[in-house]
Amino acid sequence: MSRARPPRSRLSRRSFIQRATFLGGGVVLLGPACKRSDEKPKAPPTDTGPLGTTPGGQALRTFSSFEYAVVAAATERILPKDEDPGALDADVPVYIDRILQTPALEPVRDDFVGGVAALERRANRMFQKGFAALTPEQQDELLTLFKDSPPRSAEAHFFELLTVMTLEGFLGDPSYGGNKGKVGWRLMGFDTIGTVAMAPPEGHDGPKCLRECGVHK
Amino acid sequence: MSLPEVDVCIIGSGAGGAPMALELGRAGFKVVLLEKGRHYRPQDFIHDEILNSRRNFFMPLPWEEPHLVRQGAKGRYERSTAAWTANCVGGGTVHMSGFFYRLKPVDFRLRSTLGAIPGSTVADWPISYEELAPFYDRAEAELGVSGEAVPHPFAEPRSSPYPLPPLDVHPVAGEIDKACKGLGWHSLPTARGILSRPYRGRAPCSYCALCGSYGCEMGAKSSTHASLIPAALATGNVELRPGCMARTVEVDKQGRAKSVVYLDANGVAQEQPAKVVVVSCTAVESARLLLNSTSSRFPRGLANGSGLVGKNLIFSSFGESHATFRVSKHAEARPWLKDPSPFVNRSVQDFYLLPDARFGFRKGGTLGFMWTHPNPIHAAVGLAGTGRTAVFGKALKDRMRDYRDSRILQFEVYAEYLPTPGSYVSVSDEVKDKYGIPVAAITVERHPMDLAATRFLVERGEEILLRLDPDDVRRVSTSGETTILQHGTCRFGNDAATSVLDKHCRAHEVPNLYVVDGSFMPTGGSVPSTLTITANSFRVAHHLVRSLKG
Repeated sequence: MSRARPPRSRLSRRSFIQRATFLGGGVVLLGPACKRSDEKPKAPPTDTGPLGTTPGGQALRTFSSFEYAVVAAATERILPKDEDPGALDADVPVYIDRILQTPALEPVRDDFVGGVAALERRANRMFQKGFAALTPEQQDELLTLFKDSPPRSAEAHFFELLTVMTLEGFLGDPSYGGNKGKVGWRLMGFDTIGTVAMAPPEGHDGPKCLRECGVHK
Repeated sequence: MSLPEVDVCIIGSGAGGAPMALELGRAGFKVVLLEKGRHYRPQDFIHDEILNSRRNFFMPLPWEEPHLVRQGAKGRYERSTAAWTANCVGGGTVHMSGFFYRLKPVDFRLRSTLGAIPGSTVADWPISYEELAPFYDRAEAELGVSGEAVPHPFAEPRSSPYPLPPLDVHPVAGEIDKACKGLGWHSLPTARGILSRPYRGRAPCSYCALCGSYGCEMGAKSSTHASLIPAALATGNVELRPGCMARTVEVDKQGRAKSVVYLDANGVAQEQPAKVVVVSCTAVESARLLLNSTSSRFPRGLANGSGLVGKNLIFSSFGESHATFRVSKHAEARPWLKDPSPFVNRSVQDFYLLPDARFGFRKGGTLGFMWTHPNPIHAAVGLAGTGRTAVFGKALKDRMRDYRDSRILQFEVYAEYLPTPGSYVSVSDEVKDKYGIPVAAITVERHPMDLAATRFLVERGEEILLRLDPDDVRRVSTSGETTILQHGTCRFGNDAATSVLDKHCRAHEVPNLYVVDGSFMPTGGSVPSTLTITANSFRVAHHLVRSLKG
């Protein structure tokens, strides 16, 4: 069951993000989903009670079980399992569910959850079935439709968000819940030449640092 | 609430603010150093890409503190993270790559050497290279710079070698040397603001490969955070206040700066009186602060009777190409591909001035060679692409597998960004940041001549890459701007009608107000400007200490 949410006709407009190439490492925030800064900050998310769990039994924090199934299916189409591990092998949906609870991503959370609903609506309209129940070919057809939507459309914005969040979950530090077993790093060669001594130390707690960085009391 | 008066209040702790704090503190003056961002410890600099590069560890969130950017005065403003440098103690020097080039003598005399350019407000500097050179020496010694000066057609004069020998480089540097020799060009070691040996109690580089865009947990990168700030605090005369966002600089009835009003780490407004105020928040943010500091004496913004604050904004003109080598294919013929050394450190400056006036303007620039940044998320997002040409599924995974088998050599172009009447900073009358302060609005209008020169440089760089016989050469850009390199918004000069600051970077209209970030530079030069900003700040500090001591 999906939780009740205020109806929304469109996602936020995509914002213009200029690369900071000189930095080399792409110090670009997630980017899309800028909101007007003069809007009142929202109240922190209220505890919506247990949302259910993943099929693996992990408690959900952002998505309902139903939404989680859509996210899981969509991320697995972005990075499907083949001879190498895919998004589900890396626990990418778990990453997205958790990271969307961080305060910095509040506007992104709204956009993402809205995008999942839009994907689900379109699946029902085109195929009379939920997204998670479609064949991989049908899922790809729908995602391609979102991808190829006009550049500033809500659909194109959601596709980009989905891709970026999937890659963060696949290739981020495992302490955030994704990149399970460092399968993402292995696929990209982050464990080979030119990448020595680069991973965070064992025991690094990324989410804790995100919450507390700079608080040195 | 007003705090006790100090001698000097400095706003910003980066390349411009830190040398002032150090020199004034050493001279015995009481200094308060305000910094908007946090004071990280070295152990906070962790190789966690999500934390470091994709959230607000360094850069503010665009929905909390946007810059507005538009292309030309008829363009529509978009909210952007562009033109921010790191918001933390040390500023942009914390996450810089530390390419520490000097300007060349010609950069100080661009207009008189190359002539006026229609459509550009290009101007000579009121000082010469020779006047700044001793302070380049000083900055290199205080910060710690590793390099080796070699002769070439545009080599700037130096009085002494670099303080530290060059860093170890990857064998591909030798390949670039050979390629350049074959073309009749000069491959130069790139000086770096990174320690190759222990220096003044600091540890040397550990060659971790995550340098630019990260803070250095070794303290080997010569950020002001690792070098000048600790030295300034050790004088006992400098009080660093992180988490303090300057809102305005206030003036007294005589039009002299009297205090800085800022929001402290708890969001409470404070007023810090000072005999002298030094502004160093980056060219964009310093212009914003002055423009927001309105009074009956300065209704258009502090020191802005001329209307020039925020005008003549210049970034650095940017171009880039990538050469990809498939490791498995070339492992035998080129065993060096598997060498993990992170640094290439080669530059080409044979086209610092172009051989002729084919583009109307003879200023060229610098090519800097390096391995592509190894951040995996950033790399994969780039592989996925955007818009209709984006890929996902097997196509994306194939690209990621190819990436694993690749080493990618790239160059960056640093070229002149000509000042134009159409590139400037103003403050928004609609959008405010999370502090309630009107944000900076940036209008960009490039001059066609510098775009042509940048393209020329990209083509020369690709000639070098092709000589290395890679599997693929891909042009990334010939028309970009490096917005973290920013200058010009309070240009210095001898004429108060055409400049905001005098040759000592003191405001023509406010005798106790100084601006010491890149704002003073009427032209940006064709190299990254961090070292120049630091050197100039030592020069200004030298002058200020003498004038305060009478």
